[in-house]
Amino acid sequence: MLLMLRRPFFWIIALAVVAFALAPVVGNDVSMRESLLLDALYITLASNLNLMLGYAGYVNFGSIVFFGLGGYICVWLVNSYNWPLIPSLIVAGLGVSGLALIFGFGILRLRGAFFALATIGVIEAVQAFVENFTPWGGSAGVYLSGEIFKPLGGPAHALWIIYFMMVAVMGLSLYLSFAIKTSKFGLGLLAIGQNEDAAAILGVPTSRYKALVYSVSAFLPAIAGGLYFFKSAFIQPSDAFDLSLSTEALVVGMLGGEGTVTGVAIGAFLYEELRGYLLTSSTFANFQLVVSGALLLLIVLFFPGGLMGFIYSRFPRTQKVLE
Amino acid sequence: MKRLFLLAAAVAFVATPAFAQDTITIGFTDSQTGPLNVDSLGQQRGYEYWRDEVNAAGGIKVGDKRYKVKFVSYDDQSVGGRVQQLYTRLVTQDKADFLFSPYSSGLTAPATVISEQYGKIMIDSGGAEEKPFETGNKYLFMVITSASHYLSGAVDALKQKDPNAKLALVYSDDPFSKAVLAAAAQQAKAAGLQIVMNESYSPSTTDFGPVVNKIVSSNADAFLGGGHYSDGATLARQMHDQRANMKWMSILVAPSDDKFAELGPAALGVTVPSQWELQVNYKPQFGPTTAQFAKAFQEKFHAKADYHTASGYTVGVVLQHAIEQAGSIDTDKVAAALNAMDITTFFGRIKFATDANHHGLQVAHQMVLAQWQMINGKLGRQVVWPPEAKSADLLYPIPAATQ
Repeated sequence: MLLMLRRPFFWIIALAVVAFALAPVVGNDVSMRESLLLDALYITLASNLNLMLGYAGYVNFGSIVFFGLGGYICVWLVNSYNWPLIPSLIVAGLGVSGLALIFGFGILRLRGAFFALATIGVIEAVQAFVENFTPWGGSAGVYLSGEIFKPLGGPAHALWIIYFMMVAVMGLSLYLSFAIKTSKFGLGLLAIGQNEDAAAILGVPTSRYKALVYSVSAFLPAIAGGLYFFKSAFIQPSDAFDLSLSTEALVVGMLGGEGTVTGVAIGAFLYEELRGYLLTSSTFANFQLVVSGALLLLIVLFFPGGLMGFIYSRFPRTQKVLE
Repeated sequence: MKRLFLLAAAVAFVATPAFAQDTITIGFTDSQTGPLNVDSLGQQRGYEYWRDEVNAAGGIKVGDKRYKVKFVSYDDQSVGGRVQQLYTRLVTQDKADFLFSPYSSGLTAPATVISEQYGKIMIDSGGAEEKPFETGNKYLFMVITSASHYLSGAVDALKQKDPNAKLALVYSDDPFSKAVLAAAAQQAKAAGLQIVMNESYSPSTTDFGPVVNKIVSSNADAFLGGGHYSDGATLARQMHDQRANMKWMSILVAPSDDKFAELGPAALGVTVPSQWELQVNYKPQFGPTTAQFAKAFQEKFHAKADYHTASGYTVGVVLQHAIEQAGSIDTDKVAAALNAMDITTFFGRIKFATDANHHGLQVAHQMVLAQWQMINGKLGRQVVWPPEAKSADLLYPIPAATQ
C-alpha cells in the first residue's frame, strides 16, 4: 500500500479529485457543480465496470443493477426508517456487494456471450422483483420529502455535501482501479482476461477471483446510486435499472481504453461533458443525438484502442506514468 | 440629403428602443428524446402556443407595464438526473423568473428539488400523480386532475346505469395506471359495484388472447383498465375479435388519440377519461374559449388540439392570471395569488389545495368521460359524462358485436 504513494499516478488521482472538489467552489458555480456531479457519476460507473470488463474481460451489461439496488436500499432506509444518509449509503454498498457475491458464484460459471446475456437477465429479474415489491413502492417508486435535506442543512447545503461525497466516491473508484491493477489479484484478473483456461492451469483461483471482482465492482456504484437517488428525491424501477446507462458505461470504457484507469476516467468525463454541451448548445441542441452519434462512430473507426491506446502508441513513455 | 436624414433616423430608431422592453423568462425542459418524447410534444406545443399568443397581444400586464414572455428550454432526455442539472442551469445561469414542469411525475419530482430550493414557482401539467404534492412543497402547482380521480366519472356513470355491474379491472403494470385503477377499485367498492377480476399485465404485452379469455370466464360485463396507446388499442381490438361482449369498456389514454378510430367497430362504445375534449364548453373568466383555442391551434399546427396541449396552454394562462392579479413578478406575491386562485378557464375550473399535506394539488378541475360513437356515419368522440357537460347521450350497453 505504501508503495503506491511513491507512484506518480497516486498523486495524479489526488490532484484530479482536488480539482473536482474545488472547481465549482471557487466561483460558487452551482451549474458547474451539477455537470461535474454527473461527470463524477459516470467516472464511478465506468471505472467499476472496467474492473470486470477491462481487467477480467467479462462484458457486464448488468452493472446498472448495483447502482439501482444501492439507490433503492439507501432511499428506503432514509424514507421508511429515518436513517441518516451516511449509514444508509454504507449499508447499501455492503448489501449490494454481498448480493453480487452470491449472484457472482452462480452466473460467473458462464462465459463470453452467455455471461453477457445472463447479466441482462439479472437486470430484468431485479427490475421485475422491485416492480412488485410493495415496501419499495412497486412500479410507482418512492418519493422523498424535502424534509430529508434538513439534517444536511437544507437542500442548498445538502446538494453541496452530496456533491463532495460523489467526488469522494469517484476518487475511491479510481484508487480501487489503481490498487487492483497493481496487485496480485489484478494480475490474476488480467490473466483471466487473456486466457481463462491457461490462468486456471497456472494456479489462478479463477471462480473465486471472478466472484470477488464482481462483488467489489458493486460496492461503489451502489453508493453512487444511493447518493444520486437521494439527491433526486425520487426513485422508480425504470430509472434505477435503465439498461441504456449500463450501455453508456460500456461505451465510455471502450472510448477511453479498456483496462486502463486514466483512459476510462477521461473517456467518461469527455463523454458526459460532450452530451451536456450538445444538449444546451443553441447550435446543436436540436440534433445533439446526430452529432454525438457521428463523433462516437469516428472515434471507434479511427482510434480502435480508445484514447489511451492512441496516447500510448504516440507517447510510449506515458505508459510508465499513466495506468 | 433627405435620404441621409431618413437613414440616420432609421439607425437611431433601431439603436435606441423607444420603450424599454421588459421580459419575463420562463424555463422548462421537455423530453425531445427518450421514452417520453411523444407525450411531451403536446405539452411543449401548448406552452409555446400560449407564449406566442401572449406576446402577440402585447405581453403580460403588470401594473401599467407590459412584460413579453421569453422561453429557455432544453431536452432532458427523459432522464431524472439530467432534469436536475438543467433546472439548476435554468435558474442560475438563464435567470428564469418562473418554471414550467417537465413531462411526467417521475421527472417533475427531481425538478421540484431544484425549484423549491431556489424558491421558484413551478406549474405542472404533465404529472398526474399525487405523491409529489404530499411532500410539503411550497411553490409547485398542478393544473390537471390527479390520478385518483381519473375513473371516478366512469364509476359514477356505471353505477347509475347498472348498479349490479360486474367489473373486470385489467391494467398495465406502470405507476400511473396502477394508481388510477387502485383508486377506481376503491370507488367501485364504495359505490357497491362488484369486482370480479383485478389484475395487471406487463407494459410490453402484445398478445392479450389469454387475458381476454380470463375476462370472459370471469363473467364480467364491465371493463376498466388499459395503460398506454399500443396496449390499450390491442386490448380493445382483441376484446372485439374474441366477442367478449362487454356492456361497458373504459380504457385509459389510448382512446383519446384520434388514431383509435382505425380500430373500426372495435372502437364503438369505448369510453375514455379525459382532462379535456374539444366539445367541452366552459365559460372562461380568463383566456380564450374552447372554440377560439381549438380554431387558432388548428390553423397554427394543422393538427387537432388534444388535452396535453390544452393543459400546457393552461399552465401559461394560470401563471399569467396570477401575475396580473399580483401586479408583480415577485415570487411570493405570485404564489399568494396562485393560492387564492379560483377561476374558470376553457380547460375547466382551476383551484389549488392550500393545506400543507397536499399543497398545490388541483382540487377543482374535473375530468370528463368521452365515448366513441357514430357521428353522421363516422366514428368520433362525444363527451357523455358528467351530464352537465355532455355533448351526446351515453351509449349503454355497448351494442353486441354483430357478424
